[in-house]
Amino acid sequence: MTLFSVVVQYAISGITDGSIYAIIGICWSVVYLITKVLNFTTGEFVMLGGMLTWGFHRLGLGVFPASLIAVATTICIAIVIERATIRPVRYPSEMTYMMITIALASIIKGIVLLKWGTEVRKIDPFFGTDVLHIFGAAITPQVLCVLGFLIIVTVGLTWFLNYTFFGKALRASAINLTGAKLVGININKFRLFCFGLAGGLGAMTGIVTTPITFTGYQIGMLTGLKGLVAAIVGGWGIMGTVISALALGLLEGFCAGFISTGFKDVLALLVMIIFLIIRTYSITAKLRRTSS
Amino acid sequence: MKPIRKILHGWCFIVIAIGILPFVVPGLYMHYITGVMCFIAMYGALALGMGVLLEQAGLFSLAHPSWFGIGAYITGILAMRGIPSIAAIIIAAISVAFLAYIIGAPLLRLKGYYLACATFALLLIVDITIPQLGSLTGGHDGLLGIPPLSIAGFVLKGDFHFYYLTWGLCLGTLWFLSNLMRSRFGRAIKSFNDSEVASKSVGVNVSGYKLQVFILTAVMASFVGSFFCFYIRYANPLMFGFPLMVELVTMMIVGGGKTLYGPLLGSFVILWVREIIHIYLGKVLPVMNAQIDATFFGVIIVVILIFMPGGLAGWLDQLIQAGRKVRERFARA
Repeated sequence: MTLFSVVVQYAISGITDGSIYAIIGICWSVVYLITKVLNFTTGEFVMLGGMLTWGFHRLGLGVFPASLIAVATTICIAIVIERATIRPVRYPSEMTYMMITIALASIIKGIVLLKWGTEVRKIDPFFGTDVLHIFGAAITPQVLCVLGFLIIVTVGLTWFLNYTFFGKALRASAINLTGAKLVGININKFRLFCFGLAGGLGAMTGIVTTPITFTGYQIGMLTGLKGLVAAIVGGWGIMGTVISALALGLLEGFCAGFISTGFKDVLALLVMIIFLIIRTYSITAKLRRTSS
Repeated sequence: MKPIRKILHGWCFIVIAIGILPFVVPGLYMHYITGVMCFIAMYGALALGMGVLLEQAGLFSLAHPSWFGIGAYITGILAMRGIPSIAAIIIAAISVAFLAYIIGAPLLRLKGYYLACATFALLLIVDITIPQLGSLTGGHDGLLGIPPLSIAGFVLKGDFHFYYLTWGLCLGTLWFLSNLMRSRFGRAIKSFNDSEVASKSVGVNVSGYKLQVFILTAVMASFVGSFFCFYIRYANPLMFGFPLMVELVTMMIVGGGKTLYGPLLGSFVILWVREIIHIYLGKVLPVMNAQIDATFFGVIIVVILIFMPGGLAGWLDQLIQAGRKVRERFARA
């Protein structure tokens, strides 16, 4: 393989990872913007999607019905989480929400570990294993499937948020919660809807990516956090999240390829810390002060 | 009765109870009970520091277990190279203080969710990096064969020695913190937790105090880590990752973080709950590891935060106040 084809190969794997992070990042921001809850169970939804599909598939269902049931189950779990643990909190604060969602992530992880053990699970690719070649690099159809899923989600959500009545109301309540309540928007329904949406999208991501990255009880936390990195760096918007997630994925892909696979996971977390720190120094304000 | 005398009585009672416990329990269970009590003291000391950082100072730093782990690892590595125990403990504490300064200075500018996210990332970075360091940290197996703690020629090992050592450390930490919180430093910490703007306006150096309390608790965690690695004589990357964080948060929430002694109470309750879970469910469940413990603790966190936000300490306060009311009513009648 020439250097160019190696670079293309790393770029492809980076973009695949990046599109996974992008959808997870959208899940985080959908919940965060409406409910102001940083939902640490997002990563576990991804894990649940993959694991449940594998579980139902093993019971004798086909992949497609199994994945439908898995998505439905995850949506139900997400809605139950909102209704049963997030809403009844008596003194809501950021810290309480965060502790509760971290605890819930831990519970989901533990239950999956008890039920299905520590082994890595996988589903067969949806469209076979024929490999396409581009510039000497190999692409499996599953990668194209992930990319297609990202495009569908991005376009679909953008259309939904900008051109439907329900979506516009959702955006309004993200901008100003009290104002939205005053004009008669039912916030409680929206909170349920957002958790359900995050659960469904997360589960679908898990199902689409399981043939590539496999799944296991412990993948949720790190995958979820990388999505959070993308959402924070992208400024909680859809386009920002997608762009920063793709950049993060490419960075990770090249780091894993050219430096070391062991420190690949550290990189995203470092990016988040450095970004958050740089954010506090407000470089633009300083530049303006020095120039004037 | 004066409150000071009441507190003194409480201290005397606790110290005597802890002191005579190994002699009171029947000999068959002594090893088991002192062993568990050692862990309670060490986790309690760790949770006390975390309680001050999170609840009193309001800095939501989840990286507390990392300082514990780094302290344990540095002490273990130095002790295995033949450096005297005391020197290893002190070097570990100094290096942790240095690290906490370097990391804390830029990080503590963040607030709320962002601080929590950044420190959570830090926790996971330490968790991932330590096994990757290969021969220095022993990879995924961890450090094996750490020599026993020896102070001025005395070799301290076994549950009995460590029982008094760790409880001394733990109660010393509690005493130190309760004095600290009544000093100028403690009042400043509480003030910027209530309102940062107000305390800045009366001249409290908020960022300075934040950094100081961060470094202080990090060093305390490092001390606990040093004793921990000398007690169990090995160090393992699984000991201080995400599960330990969940465990510490559970202790703080169960005990009630608004009071100083709450986390210690929580550590006592939680570790005995864990022992009960291990004894009764160990045979039923297919796997039993830190992640399963973290699952049970997760359930406890959710239930306590929804139904009993004050924790056990808050509940005790309510009970005492209810008792006082009943007594007053009887006195009037």
